[in-house]
Amino acid sequence: MARAAKSALVLCMDVGFSMSNSPPGEEPPFDQAKKVIQKFVQRQVFSESKDEMALVLFGTDATKNPLDQDGQYQHITVRRQLMAPDFELLEEIENHVRPESQQTDWLDALVVSMDLLQKGAQVKKYDRLNIVLLTDLSTQVSSDNLDVIIGNLGKLGITLQFFFPFPMEEEEHNEEGGGGDGDGDRRGSSRPGVGKGLSREQKQGLEMVRDIMLSLDEDEGLDQVYTFSEAIEQLFMFKHIERRPMAWPCQLTIGSSLSIRIVGYKAVTDEKLKKMWITVDAQTSKRDDVKRETVYCLDDDNETEVQKDDTIQGFRYGSDIVPFSKVDQEQMKYKHDGKCFAVLGFTKHDSIHRHLFMGSQTIKMFAPKDDEHAGVALSALIQALDKLNMVAIVRYAYDRRCNPQVGAAFPCIKQTYECLVYVQLPFMEDLRQFSFPSLENKKFTPSESQLAAVDSLIDSMMLVEEDENGQKEDMYKVHEIPNPAFQRLFQCLHHRAVNPGTPLPTMEQWLKDALERPSAISERCQAPLEEMKRKFPLKAVEKKKELKTGAQIFGKGSAEPDAKKSKVDEEEEEFNLAKISEGNVTSVGSVDPARDFRSLINQKSLPFGEVCQQLTHRIEQLLSNRSTHYYMKCITCIQTFREQSVKLGNADLYNSYLQSLKKSIPNSGLQVFWDLLVQDAITLISKDEVEGSTVSKDDANQFLATEEKKEVETEPAVDDAGDVDDLLDMM
Amino acid sequence: MAEWNAFYQNEEADEEQEEGEESAVNYKVTGRDSLVFLVDASKEMFIKGEDGEPSNFDITMQCVRSVYTSKIISSHRDLVALVFYGTEKSKNPRNSFKHVYVYHDLDEPGAKRVQDVEALRGERGARLAADTMGSGEVSLGDALWCCSNLYSDIKLRLSHKRLMIFTCMDQPHGGDSTKDRQARTKAGDLKETGVVIDLMHLMKPGGFDVSLFFCDIVSPPEDESELGLQVEPCGKLDDLQKRVQAKQQKKRAMARVNLCLGEGMNVAVGVYANAVTARKPSAIRLYRETNEPVHSKTRTFHTQTGSLLLPSETRKAQVYGNRQIVMEKDEVDTIKKFYDPEIFLIGFKPMEKLKLHHHIRPSVLLYPEEQQVTGSSCVFAALLKKCTEKKVFAVCRYTPRRNYPPRFVALVPQREEVDESNVQVTPPGFNAIFLPFADDIRKLDTPQFPTASDVQVDKMKEIITKMRFKYRSDAFENPVIQQHYRNLEALALDMLAPESIEDFIMPKVEQIDRRLGPLVDEFKELVYPASYNPDSKPAAKRKTADAGGGDEKKPKVEIPEAELRAHIKNGTLGKLTVPVLKEACKQFGIRTTGTKKQELMDALIAQMAK
Repeated sequence: MARAAKSALVLCMDVGFSMSNSPPGEEPPFDQAKKVIQKFVQRQVFSESKDEMALVLFGTDATKNPLDQDGQYQHITVRRQLMAPDFELLEEIENHVRPESQQTDWLDALVVSMDLLQKGAQVKKYDRLNIVLLTDLSTQVSSDNLDVIIGNLGKLGITLQFFFPFPMEEEEHNEEGGGGDGDGDRRGSSRPGVGKGLSREQKQGLEMVRDIMLSLDEDEGLDQVYTFSEAIEQLFMFKHIERRPMAWPCQLTIGSSLSIRIVGYKAVTDEKLKKMWITVDAQTSKRDDVKRETVYCLDDDNETEVQKDDTIQGFRYGSDIVPFSKVDQEQMKYKHDGKCFAVLGFTKHDSIHRHLFMGSQTIKMFAPKDDEHAGVALSALIQALDKLNMVAIVRYAYDRRCNPQVGAAFPCIKQTYECLVYVQLPFMEDLRQFSFPSLENKKFTPSESQLAAVDSLIDSMMLVEEDENGQKEDMYKVHEIPNPAFQRLFQCLHHRAVNPGTPLPTMEQWLKDALERPSAISERCQAPLEEMKRKFPLKAVEKKKELKTGAQIFGKGSAEPDAKKSKVDEEEEEFNLAKISEGNVTSVGSVDPARDFRSLINQKSLPFGEVCQQLTHRIEQLLSNRSTHYYMKCITCIQTFREQSVKLGNADLYNSYLQSLKKSIPNSGLQVFWDLLVQDAITLISKDEVEGSTVSKDDANQFLATEEKKEVETEPAVDDAGDVDDLLDMM
Repeated sequence: MAEWNAFYQNEEADEEQEEGEESAVNYKVTGRDSLVFLVDASKEMFIKGEDGEPSNFDITMQCVRSVYTSKIISSHRDLVALVFYGTEKSKNPRNSFKHVYVYHDLDEPGAKRVQDVEALRGERGARLAADTMGSGEVSLGDALWCCSNLYSDIKLRLSHKRLMIFTCMDQPHGGDSTKDRQARTKAGDLKETGVVIDLMHLMKPGGFDVSLFFCDIVSPPEDESELGLQVEPCGKLDDLQKRVQAKQQKKRAMARVNLCLGEGMNVAVGVYANAVTARKPSAIRLYRETNEPVHSKTRTFHTQTGSLLLPSETRKAQVYGNRQIVMEKDEVDTIKKFYDPEIFLIGFKPMEKLKLHHHIRPSVLLYPEEQQVTGSSCVFAALLKKCTEKKVFAVCRYTPRRNYPPRFVALVPQREEVDESNVQVTPPGFNAIFLPFADDIRKLDTPQFPTASDVQVDKMKEIITKMRFKYRSDAFENPVIQQHYRNLEALALDMLAPESIEDFIMPKVEQIDRRLGPLVDEFKELVYPASYNPDSKPAAKRKTADAGGGDEKKPKVEIPEAELRAHIKNGTLGKLTVPVLKEACKQFGIRTTGTKKQELMDALIAQMAK
């Protein structure tokens, strides 16, 4: 595979005296320029681009550059050599790029930048060389060597971009159309400094820039000149992920003897970030300090661990589990001939339902670039399908290792190209053919006036409207919004990297705005919406709790502050949703562990020992909260544990748990909890209740009684123990 | 290629996510289904048909087996029982009923049961049945009573209870009115407890007359259009024998959220999956020695101290621009939070603005939830009606749950459709089509070609017309999953070889060729020159096409020794590419087994140091 293409770029920024000048109330050009390069570098860092960057400052008090000789090229500093951008560069910009007091010929700075690129290109191959010059053009320039410079730029293939605090032309240039509704006011602010009029130097500079740019590229040279504010606006969002499209060459086949060479490219796909969060140690922040390990245990009382190599895989077949090794599975599995794009038949376009598209991508199929015959053949198919309003149903297999799919190939005819668009369709097994009660029900049929209200609401909220030229204007293009999840993540990552130890920032305003209803629509729909509210009475039904939560059962008695209680409520509400189904209890949850425990025992799907372990685990967890509210829950758990143990005639687990619990009480500061246990007289299970028990009835009762005596003596000690614990924690 | 593969490898992870999404909110769960087969074992059932046709008993067992195997795949948690009546011997929980033989108690079906039923098939099966159970007196009343006990012994919550009677006797008690009455009473009791009684009447010389007795036993048909009393031998049998090898999916909402039309106008909707990619059921890990399932425990510990780490003792990090950026776990969650779960209406667009290729994931269906917000259905119905009429869709911002970044969806109206017999084919509701963000759309270089001429297009039209068919979304089974189930079945039931599957997504090449006949050659003549072979390997073609380019790609990569030494001295050896380094190794006669860059560099440095 070809290596990712790299380009080299020099950021060449004027930090000289005049850059800090600005009329009162306006941002100095320096600040704007700094923002531009910051935003730009930020984007490069997060898009993980391989492009390399250097930073040259001019107008600096010091001089540091390789051309510094005989008093030439003074006050130009190379702050950073060509390198992949990283946070160090960002920090350098943040901390070391500041206004200085010299003025330097920007052509000299350009030469230094060219020199950097030229030397860089000797060592490494770059596919593009670029210089970005940010200046206010306020210095006297000697144009003696202009021709030589232009000649060298052309020879080295260096492209230039200029950023000025003012626009190049007096008149506005309308290059951007779909900037959204806020466009008007943004443009207003993008012309500071214009009114001031340009100085002679600046005018001269502009002349020269025009010369350079037009001699490099006659037609579009001037498109590469921007204002600072334009740039900031465009750089606001983090660069959206660009992936190089990967070609998938194949043949479209119809029957055994008709084939057309095609190449597929993913056109639209649910893009995910490649990077995942890694887990690091909280103290050292080192990844290597944390290790995750998975062990396999038998379902016996001891949870005997077994080696991974000693396990095989199996599949559930009804109530049985059938061992089915990976090797056998591989051998017996469905095999196919690999890469394939074979037409099964053709069908009417409208028999394919948009809502049954499957998978997470669409693929565009073209003929290979160098194959005109394939191009014509494919064109015939595309045109024919389009004219007949039909689509091809195909078998698609990416390669031998991937499962084959069934899908549809739609004809797609655009002004500049034709292609087939492939989308996966469902298998019978994928379909969820749910039926729903009809809405053509007298109870729900809307009245004429209600329908009229909806009608005017829709009219007021149309996002696509014809403008005066009869052109349809879409004011809300979702496919032009960057994925907000990525934007927000990068914003937070950047913030944390540059300002460690401070809380995360709020969402950026432009992003918030981009995700909201356009303000024009919001205004327009006010009245129709009010009408809707009047016409359609809506009433939220008080949610009936299907299950009493722990908070409801015990919450009243506990003296917790209300705020906290409601928070617990909320948490549990969430849990509830997941756990409420009695039939679906798979483990002892935290909402109602006792009930879960009971139903697990009844289900018998897990061995008794394991269920008990889950329960005791939960109890420990709840106890660690040190709150009466949770203690009550634990009491219920232990009661249930006891009751079920007696029922199943297995006292050992319960007894040993209770004994160990008792032992741990003094050290864990759970005396209060133990008192509750004693109050409720939750004893050991004696021989009288379960035959297998090793505890006599007297011992069982004694178990609590003796504790009572001891408890009085040990009370002060308990407090001490707690202190020690706390101290340890602190250390 | 890496990129494409990554997609496929992600499948598993996606699956988990999807499953998670669904189970996270499945708070309305129904219990399990149950099904009791009540089979007549009287002598008449064993009589073979003319021309050696299988006996009714045999047919029944075939049916039961088929249902068992289907249930195992589709919903193995359902309970199934097999009870014979009219037997000589008795076997039931408390042995309180004579001539009732509970062969299988109500339980989840498994391999053993399938084999049990298998054993009752055919000639040998009949003999086995005679040996174990025999045929005796018939008392349907007792049999039904026994079945009702089976139901009441089950402690689980049952959502659907069904009882199927298989018999060829339209007068099981031969006119004994006491027994008839007793059976009717018992059937009534059962029906009262919610059991649906079905009759699977089998072939009987002279025809089976349901009206004689069974019309009082079976449950009245749910659907009025269906005539409950069929005189013909049951067509339902065929349905039962149909192999269903797809996991049955319970109808449950993935989420219940508010569709917010604007401030203070919230309509409650449920979100349902239209289709979810079905995958092979996941494997269970077993201990090799005993084949007992093992469970896994994952723990996080500190490599230095070996102590277990609580979640609070770890943090999350990512590396960008050579820097590790660390966050707390709850910060990671809050970053993902934008809005509370809702579907927020942005506005409407005309239908033609919905681009066909803007597809990123399977759509979901919205249906109003009257139980959460009364009045929802009415607003919903009105919106549905008006959107359909005006041919518009709604653009909404969808946040499925908390701490979940939003996606935009197009709500496309879908009117209810019913077939001739008034059965719903398409439910009413809005399909929510997920729309791509800018990041999801890739820029492609589009090659340009001359468009085909009318003659060429017309020829292709002929080909297309010859290969027309009516597409149905449920027509294609997934061969991968089907094969897996058959394999599993073969292993579980000790079959010699798995049943073969039909690959519905394989083109029927011969048929296509026959249909198209000379059209293919005619088309090829129109578009391809004689020398052109589309089947030749593209790679091979490229070689001949730009033979000169081939050389260019592999330039001589030799490097002068002086330069190499300079690189070593300056520590810039790493800037050379692997082929250059390899060539250099060759040049200096260094034998390297390694292909890694570092290995090559080390070898060179070692050589030069000599």
